[in-house]
Amino acid sequence: MNKPLDQRMTIDGQEVIFAEGETIYAVAQRNARSIPTLCYDDRLEAFGACRLCVVEVEGYRNPVASCTTPASAGMVVTTKNATLDKHRKTLLELVASENPPDADVSPLRGKASQEMTELFTEYGVTGARFEGKKSGTSRPDDDNPFILRDYDRCISCYRCVRVCAEQEGDFAISVMNRGFSTQITTEFSGLLKDSDCTFCGQCVQTCPTGALADKKALRFAEDPAPVKKTRSVCGYCGVGCSVDIMTKGGRIVGIQPAFDGPANEGALCVKGQFAFDFVHHTDRLTTPHVRKEGKLVPASWEEALDVAAEGFLKAKNHDRYATYAIASGRAPSESSYLTQKFIRANNGTHYVDNCSRG
Amino acid sequence: MHDEDIFARYEDEPAPLLPILHAFHERDGHVSDAAILAISERLRIPKADLFGTVTFYHHLSRTPGGQARPRVCDGPVCCLRGAETMRAALDGEAMPCSGRCDDPVPVLFGNVTKVGPSNNALEARSSPLPPPARGTECVFAHIREPGRATLDGYRRTDGYKGLEAALKLSPDAVLDLVNQSGLAGRGGAGFPTGRKWRAVREAEGARKTIVCNADEGEPGCFKDRALMDHDPHALIEGMVIAAYATGAQLGFIYLRYEYPETLQVLERALRQARDMGLCGDDILNQNFDFHIYVRRGAGAYICGEETSLLNSLEGKHPFPRNRPPYPVTSGFEETPTAVNNVETLCSVPPILHRGAEWYRGLGHGEHAGTKVISLSGDVQRPGNYEVPIGMSLRTLLHEWAGGPRPGRTFKAVTMAGLSGGFIGGKDLDEVTLDEPCLRSKGSFLGAGGVMVFDDSRDMVETARQAMSFFAHESCGKCFPCRIGTQRLTERLAGDAGPRSLPQWTEEVSDIGATMKATSACGLGVAAPLVTDSLIRYFGDELEAKWGAS
Repeated sequence: MNKPLDQRMTIDGQEVIFAEGETIYAVAQRNARSIPTLCYDDRLEAFGACRLCVVEVEGYRNPVASCTTPASAGMVVTTKNATLDKHRKTLLELVASENPPDADVSPLRGKASQEMTELFTEYGVTGARFEGKKSGTSRPDDDNPFILRDYDRCISCYRCVRVCAEQEGDFAISVMNRGFSTQITTEFSGLLKDSDCTFCGQCVQTCPTGALADKKALRFAEDPAPVKKTRSVCGYCGVGCSVDIMTKGGRIVGIQPAFDGPANEGALCVKGQFAFDFVHHTDRLTTPHVRKEGKLVPASWEEALDVAAEGFLKAKNHDRYATYAIASGRAPSESSYLTQKFIRANNGTHYVDNCSRG
Repeated sequence: MHDEDIFARYEDEPAPLLPILHAFHERDGHVSDAAILAISERLRIPKADLFGTVTFYHHLSRTPGGQARPRVCDGPVCCLRGAETMRAALDGEAMPCSGRCDDPVPVLFGNVTKVGPSNNALEARSSPLPPPARGTECVFAHIREPGRATLDGYRRTDGYKGLEAALKLSPDAVLDLVNQSGLAGRGGAGFPTGRKWRAVREAEGARKTIVCNADEGEPGCFKDRALMDHDPHALIEGMVIAAYATGAQLGFIYLRYEYPETLQVLERALRQARDMGLCGDDILNQNFDFHIYVRRGAGAYICGEETSLLNSLEGKHPFPRNRPPYPVTSGFEETPTAVNNVETLCSVPPILHRGAEWYRGLGHGEHAGTKVISLSGDVQRPGNYEVPIGMSLRTLLHEWAGGPRPGRTFKAVTMAGLSGGFIGGKDLDEVTLDEPCLRSKGSFLGAGGVMVFDDSRDMVETARQAMSFFAHESCGKCFPCRIGTQRLTERLAGDAGPRSLPQWTEEVSDIGATMKATSACGLGVAAPLVTDSLIRYFGDELEAKWGAS
């Protein structure tokens, strides 16, 4: 249960209330303060890497990271002033020194892919200062069909590593080496397909620079049509994950999870994330088919349902164990209920199951 | 040794990952893919995580034969003594300062340290004792007495009298006494020891832990090595007293990889202490248990930062943790934990034996107690000196250590190893060795490493080496340190950045200011003190290198 908002502190001169255990960042967010971040994703444990969210707290010698510091009663916090702005700009300039501001981060790369670029624009960071060596080595050799590993753009915020561990529970990727030589990796620097990766794509969607990118969506990067997003529910299973279907001119170009989807909170599986090509595939069935003289031929719904009903009636001529129903894992609970009701009432058998148990 | 034997030996002990990794490393000569997979499965650590963590430690070799390859110290003092030539001659790897600055140059061959001025004159010998005492000492008072490292010798020279005194008091009274002595952390942070212990005692939780931080990774610091090599029972006694005062049952000594001989000394001393009932179950029949395990690090300066150290012990990636919570409430495996430096713990038995007033009185003026300074570099008599806190640097350099080499003058000293940057100019004659004075100069005493550079040295190059050490050791977690140490190194080397001095200074100062204000731990906060002090004291050398425009 949420703790009550019964504590008081001051943010930018305004007295605000908060609940014990909240971070300064959470309280500031609720009170409409705009604090920049790069390593923050509110679904993940705060990590404190990018330091952009530093704020001043009265009585503290140095600014503190607001994302990891708990609010405490009587605290007096400043979230924005010239000194903090200078530090934030310097931090962004350091980031830009190895990730030059690049107008061409396609939004098809991933849901959060614009975060770094937007901050560069907001703070007027051009990439002109602090030139030097670059870190991060891309993996063009990883020829999996889903995830582009463009680590030249990586800023080592570890959101991908953390979402893989904390949300997906895969622990497929980690951090190799240290300091400036840090590199996101699988075990033994291998390919994703040889690792524990399930290609759920959550790392792609949380990446704030587009270093990890949706390869399937990028196939349509050259198409000049604007991207339209349509909120929908994934049709693959009964969980009901909310998705935003990205289309260009009536063609699906990619899927992004809805971070505010009540069932999935930004998560998807490999099917919901990447398996949409069937929609426009020439082999896709668009009408029912019935078998005539051993061959499947197109039919109307009326005809197909008649044939199915006839089949169920015929099955009743055999004993009850001749029938076994398997409901689809893609069916919602109501349909699953009707399936068992039907097979029990019509065929008198308890032989009913769901394909998800297979 | 089969995999099974290695697992059987360690898997039921606390903090098993490091010793298991070392056992595989030594058995196979490197940490193989097969070893990572076997350990991952047995300890239930995801294999990608374990692989990443293994690559974090620079002493864990991933190539066959790598464990035995010579590692030649490339610390600041060893670089002055020809380490680079030796490394080339030995076809070895560079290792960051390995704490033998009073007897350079150390080379690690597997688990054997040899030292000498050239690759043809290397020999294995024990680390130097401190030079003869000049004042009243606390931790070094008996260290030079023969046999002190054995239990008998230790007992002959007041050993375990502190513990006996402590056990006659209540834990509360021990905490009061340590508090009154003014003892503060001697590893660098200077937190009052009595307060830390009381916080652990009063923290919720039945299990509590004492961790001795013996990961002496700061370049130019070699005091903990001397204490452990020549007075290991003092450390054990200090830890047992800490356990009694806090209520801890579990203790670790986290020892840096580069001290393999010290590991043997500690293991032997612990066996003796256990045999005599001085640690383990039912200590001195007082119905109190305390078990100490030695854990060897694997090459990472950041593991001297207490929360990285705790992550390392727990087998996690050794990034520093976010605080709060602090270790005193949530440390090793979330138990209330006191992390104390070797010198701090070694100070405790004499304090218990001789009293708080005695210890407090050892400092100059208002300052309580003593501090061991590891002095090295261009000075006549390098070594570990236990000085009264507040003594002048000038007295140490000229009177105690014999002044500069013949025909030379002092140009600069480092403070806190490298973390306090440089002191130069007239401050060399004016500063006193205490935090208030040194902090007023933009530096700090820290762990007490002082490296001396005379007028023959190039300070810009010295600063570059220092910054390149910090860049090598930056853990990579927080942005300002990961990118900042790299950019500062490039600027000191002249590899990148503005070519005009005013712009150079502006860039370097901007990076430094943001690192100091926003870095997540002490490494990133301290590293820019090197560039700050270079600009403050050695503007002429910068000008000579970049010219004014």
